[in-house]
Amino acid sequence: MIFAPAPAAPLARSQLLWLAALVLLAQLPLWPHLPIWIAVLGPGLVVARLLLPADRPLSTRLRRWLLPLLALAVAIGIRMSFGYFLSRDPCVAFLYALVGIKFVETRSPRDGGLLACLGLFVALTQFFYGQSIGAAVIALPMVLVLGGALAALREAPALPAAWTVPLLATARMLLQGVPLAALLFILFPRLAGPLWGAPADTGARSGLSDRMAPGSVSELSLSDAVAFRVDFIGRPPPPVQRYWRGPVLTRFDGFEWSALTRIRGGRLAADRSRAIEYTVTMEPNNRQWLFALEHPVGLPRAPIDDPTAAVGPVRNVAILTDDQQLLANAPIMQAIRYTQRSTISDRFAAAGEADARDNVQLPRGNPRTRAFAAELRERSGSDRAFIAAVLDYFRREPFVYTLAPPLLQGDRVDAFLFDTRRGFCEHYASAFVVLLRAAGIPARVVTGYQGGEINPDGGYMIVRDSDAHAWAEALLDGAWQRLDPTAAVAPSRIERGLGGALAQGEPVPYLARLEETWLKTLRLRWDAVNYQWQRGVVGFNLQRQRDVLRDLGLEAARPWHVVALAGALAFLWGLAILGFARARHARTDAAVALWSRLCRRLAHAGLPRAPSEGPLAYVGRAAARWPQSSALLQRIGETYAALRYGPSDATRAELLARLRASIAALPSAIRR
Amino acid sequence: MSAVSMTPSWARRWRQRLWRIDAADRGPIVLRHRRIYILPTRRGLAMIATLAIMLLTSMNYALSLGHALTFLVAGLVAAALLHTYRNLAGIAASPLAAGEAFVGGELAFTLSLANAGAERRGIVVAALSGPSLRVDLPAGATRPVQLSVPANRRGRVALGRVTVSTDFPLGLWRGWAYVHFPLAGMAYPAPEAPPPPLPQGLEGFDLRRSARAADTELAGLRDYHSGDALNRIAWKAVARGAGWYTKQFEGSGGGGALELNWAELPPRLDVEAKLSRLCAWILAAERETRPFSLTLPGTELVSGSGAGQRRAALTALALFPRESAP
Repeated sequence: MIFAPAPAAPLARSQLLWLAALVLLAQLPLWPHLPIWIAVLGPGLVVARLLLPADRPLSTRLRRWLLPLLALAVAIGIRMSFGYFLSRDPCVAFLYALVGIKFVETRSPRDGGLLACLGLFVALTQFFYGQSIGAAVIALPMVLVLGGALAALREAPALPAAWTVPLLATARMLLQGVPLAALLFILFPRLAGPLWGAPADTGARSGLSDRMAPGSVSELSLSDAVAFRVDFIGRPPPPVQRYWRGPVLTRFDGFEWSALTRIRGGRLAADRSRAIEYTVTMEPNNRQWLFALEHPVGLPRAPIDDPTAAVGPVRNVAILTDDQQLLANAPIMQAIRYTQRSTISDRFAAAGEADARDNVQLPRGNPRTRAFAAELRERSGSDRAFIAAVLDYFRREPFVYTLAPPLLQGDRVDAFLFDTRRGFCEHYASAFVVLLRAAGIPARVVTGYQGGEINPDGGYMIVRDSDAHAWAEALLDGAWQRLDPTAAVAPSRIERGLGGALAQGEPVPYLARLEETWLKTLRLRWDAVNYQWQRGVVGFNLQRQRDVLRDLGLEAARPWHVVALAGALAFLWGLAILGFARARHARTDAAVALWSRLCRRLAHAGLPRAPSEGPLAYVGRAAARWPQSSALLQRIGETYAALRYGPSDATRAELLARLRASIAALPSAIRR
Repeated sequence: MSAVSMTPSWARRWRQRLWRIDAADRGPIVLRHRRIYILPTRRGLAMIATLAIMLLTSMNYALSLGHALTFLVAGLVAAALLHTYRNLAGIAASPLAAGEAFVGGELAFTLSLANAGAERRGIVVAALSGPSLRVDLPAGATRPVQLSVPANRRGRVALGRVTVSTDFPLGLWRGWAYVHFPLAGMAYPAPEAPPPPLPQGLEGFDLRRSARAADTELAGLRDYHSGDALNRIAWKAVARGAGWYTKQFEGSGGGGALELNWAELPPRLDVEAKLSRLCAWILAAERETRPFSLTLPGTELVSGSGAGQRRAALTALALFPRESAP
């Protein structure tokens, strides 16, 4: 049997306000992720409806024609704005506008119920764009208002001012529901992959790219966003050895460096004497790269603290390419963890002939650079001497390490090396490799992260986007040798990070600065909290779920065992909530129960209580019928009346005990 | 019915327990889990469907916080279920009084709802027919609830099964319980309208005299009884301070006892019409405080007056055997 709510009465103003608050709170977190016209339109409709005079609701014709037309227009607008419609982001934008349109035409409590459901779903979509602590916190008022709106829809509040009452009641119910929610969160099966089409346009953090143009790394360096965090087993290597290898860029078109499109398998470094082990927790970056210290001696494995799990939630099986990059087999769409072993070294054996062939190509142009390289190579006796001379050139000449280099035109490498001499790591790496190639030495650009900060609060290392770096490597005597021209220009960048290398006044990201302010300490503490949040809540996936089940000793449990366990726990939860409520009123309840049991007993004995008979009158009648127990019966009646109708004070427990004792003392002779 | 007797007793017991078909509840009935049913309302179903869609979305996009939000709201919905149950559980319902009415009117039945626990809000009480009532029960309060049941045909009218329900606090769940007390009121035949003139004392019916004419000649005064028509009070006497008297008119009481006899009604009237006429006369006699006797086939009521006489007479009319269907 399904019960319809009360027949459609128009919504009261107070109910409308509740729904408006619900819709606005659901829309709020999406605001920054939408085209501006949609972002304004959605809440605008809500506000417009509220400003409409209450006694002149939209006419039926307007409702029937204008609003569907508006919805259609919004759909077309979104299609034009995004260029496509049937995808996640346009659909979110459409839903966002749709709750506004639905709010305009909401008239009955039934509409209100639909609106509440729609609003709740819209509130979920904000997590497409971020699952930070802030995103979770901003969803909470929405849930509270949802409860308030549902309560208001059930019964229009008599006093509009009494808006705190449903909020407090909802807060109480939410708190009571938290154990159940936690149980579901932990035990509800997580999926290894998506149910339907891969979520194509996952909002990817702007991280490293497989291309490098002047400005691309420096732009990244302005961001405090966390790229990954690392737990070292043992001591972390010193800062100068923290080179986290990422995309290797081989091709150069005079402006932009890019990676080779072919991927070939490579060999792991053989020297394991200085191997260290660490666990990386990586933020999703929508790329396949897994970062490791130079150079990996093994493939990523399941984290140390979870040996049974595959790497990552999508079972990312990693491979090592011939340029020593670790690649997952699918883009990293959610945070993953893996344990990695690396040997701290700045060289590794070349893969073969192709390496030399692929890494000498140069586009036309930059004649001064070519001439300089040829001349310098001539003067130097060997490749190594030439490289030392180039690095010395960087060190000697007045090169400036800056985040804000002047714009380069024409032969960019020439202009940088001989005119402006102001640049960021990508300028130095690029010019360095061009010089080497011009001298006939195979060389390439390597991008990745350099450095990382130990968070004293958590004992782990944070690597941020501001640690993004570009360096070079050259093929010397059959091995690739890491060479970092930035270290020649600004050694402190390598030793102390960005904040140590840039001049005063440069826009160093806040957390890359070196001062130990209390604010920075606070931010680090906050990062530790965030890390736990990422690991424990956002990163709670199939793998973490298995961890928890194993910790609970349930790794061998069959699914129905878990279901039965969850059911039993949910049942206990229900009993606990009800019992908690009952305990407060147990005394009066017990009195009623005792009394009705006595009434049944006397009715059985042939003396039913008249429907309107009070306890005193009834026991009076009973006393007349069973004179031998009259005193007891009178006492029962008086005690019960005192319990039920007397003042509620501290003597109730005593009264209840007396009632119980008197009833127990009644002789069994009270029978028919 | 033979079908009932053929039903096995356990089935009957279960049917009674589930649907409370028989009026077998006595005394205060405390609503407990054995009686309380809970199902989602339409809005509750919509909310559950929304949560299911949210869960699928969260699973597909691996949104951990999506799971968290879904489960948090699911926890809220589940807690609301318990609160709906708690709003109903522990209420003690007892029958107080049955009403009476003329056919076409409404019988008022009174139940009492006692709340020994915390405050209950939005308790809806409904009989099988008639409008439902919404009451709030403060902590420890006992409230009478008056249910109106339409009197569709004369005779005994049982209150029938009463549904006590609530959708507090969020309107997502509806909890309800049935109580079925053996509470029955009486529906009297509808008085004939306009009321025919009273039969003349012992002389039988005098259809030619209008009631208006009968009321014109003052016969005397008698002591005032509460309920006497205002226009018959001897206001002059009251003004003089001589006390309260009611005027009596020729043909309206002074004429002595009325004899209302079924057998003397015009034979062209059918049973119900005869009963209606007798009913109207009884009311008129009562209004004029004339004693009357009532003779029905198989029933004889000796002459008398007052509320007891009136009720006895009307009850006799109400319970008069129905004409067997042709």
